[in-house]
Amino acid sequence: MTSLVSAKGVTKQFGSFTAVDNVSFEIERGKILGLIGPNGAGKTTLLKAVLGLTDCEGELSVMGLDPFRQRKDLMRNICFIADVAVLPRWIRVTQLLDYVEAIHPNFSRKRAEELLLQTKIMSTSKVKELSKGMVTQLHLSIIMSIDAKLLVLDEPTLGLDIIFRKEFYANLLNDYFDEERTILVTTHQVEEIENLLTDIMFINDGKILLDSTMESLGDSYVEISTSGEAADKARGLGPIAENQMFGKSVMLFEGVSREHLEGYGDLRTPSVADLFVAKVKGARK
Amino acid sequence: MITHQLALLKRELWEHRSIYVTPIAISSIVTLGVLAMLVFASGYAAQLDIAIFGAQNIAGDAERKAALTGFFIGTSWVFVIALAILTVFYCLDSLYAERKDKSILFWRSLPVTDAETVISKLLTALLVIPAATMIGIIATHLVNLVITSIWVSMKGADASVLIWGSVSLIDNWLAAFIVVLASGIWMSPFIGWFLLVSAYAKRSPLLIAFMPLVLIGLLEGIILRTHVFAENVLGRGDSLPIFRTVDIESFFEEEQWRLSEGATNLLQHLDIVKFVTSPAMWAGLVVCGLLCTGAIYVRRYRDES
Repeated sequence: MTSLVSAKGVTKQFGSFTAVDNVSFEIERGKILGLIGPNGAGKTTLLKAVLGLTDCEGELSVMGLDPFRQRKDLMRNICFIADVAVLPRWIRVTQLLDYVEAIHPNFSRKRAEELLLQTKIMSTSKVKELSKGMVTQLHLSIIMSIDAKLLVLDEPTLGLDIIFRKEFYANLLNDYFDEERTILVTTHQVEEIENLLTDIMFINDGKILLDSTMESLGDSYVEISTSGEAADKARGLGPIAENQMFGKSVMLFEGVSREHLEGYGDLRTPSVADLFVAKVKGARK
Repeated sequence: MITHQLALLKRELWEHRSIYVTPIAISSIVTLGVLAMLVFASGYAAQLDIAIFGAQNIAGDAERKAALTGFFIGTSWVFVIALAILTVFYCLDSLYAERKDKSILFWRSLPVTDAETVISKLLTALLVIPAATMIGIIATHLVNLVITSIWVSMKGADASVLIWGSVSLIDNWLAAFIVVLASGIWMSPFIGWFLLVSAYAKRSPLLIAFMPLVLIGLLEGIILRTHVFAENVLGRGDSLPIFRTVDIESFFEEEQWRLSEGATNLLQHLDIVKFVTSPAMWAGLVVCGLLCTGAIYVRRYRDES
């Protein structure tokens, strides 16, 4: 079994609103998957289903467990940061460590204390006395001290400054990630994480628009910047998106080989952000 | 399982500091009151000498017991009322605050079931708060009896006779603890109801908890012209089935204690068999269990987003 998460026809409805619509995907062990989608696309709902925080229709299995019905067993091997604000404000850092140590079989207090020493967080502080960045550091220090197979990060860096965000992801890659672990991350700031992802999934209106490895993204999608006659010829090949930039046309192609486009202009692999915009706009048409 | 529960209970004490701050506050107030009284009394030296002389030589054992038992019951009563209020607010807050401050997602990110969490809240209401109350009661008694002993000794009286000789403190504390614990168990359907409301309410749990109770009582009175709900549910607090049949009015008369030997031993006024075999007590526990199960399901199935 290499699939850590397996979803078949997962659907979640809130009344008449379908937040997640018949979604199927697999996440393999040792991957860093980025789940990208606009607000209200169903990202958080999907993550909640994976984490066993919400019930859903369809088949969903995480490490061979039914997340909603076996949440307690699942949480021994999953960690998640759902939002920066979730640590209770009244708790002290030492109390937090005491609690997690008593509750979590895979938590290493020694490691958490080592990680906290690298920050400015005092062990006697209360969460409400810490800045937003420090709260995230604290949360991350705890999460990184838990030997978990799957780490789920839902907008982990929301509201944090750029320096901290860079550090956050660097720590994640250097100190945490290895081949035994899998990370599932959602964020609005796609450009910050695209270099560390191994896989990517786009979601919009509860449906998956793209599910690909980062490697094969360059094979399937090509961006060309061109002008004049070459632009007209390129346009004839049916780009999925076109923008004007500095007097040049920037076109995005799906499933058109690089050889075909060679000679029409400068070729490159599109950024995740551009691809995402093209896909979402394409889906709305 | 047990280490989980202990960690969860500790967590409740960290979050709800009022559980131990309230007894400390009441204890301090009672002690200040006693000190003020002693200072005030010291101003009347002549009368005091006579009173102490009388207490030591003329008054019988019964009067001394009566006075001490009065102090005992009076102070304990303040704690019990505070305990009741504290429990109501604790229960209503226990599953509501974690949703309000959004920490629920953090708590649920750890390997603890919703059942374990709700049970920890129930145990806090039924055991931890009563235990904290009891520690407050014992500490208050000891501190004040010691203060009073020092004071009467300074006035030349024998504290071992006046204060410590006549009443079995251990028995009375045990009696107080039994009453405190039994009150919680007896009122457990309310605890269950408050926990359910706490898990369910989007806002103002206090209002949502009490409105239906008041409304049902009122509507029953208006429409059916009966008072079954008012008497059995709202009036439950008046009928804790643990006391032997005592006429409360005569209980506080000195005569009662003079006549019946050992009546100031509060343990003798309790009938534990009557409590344990009370169908109403068991029915209450069943209702509490059902309501707590409801709270577990609400916490589990509720989706805030």
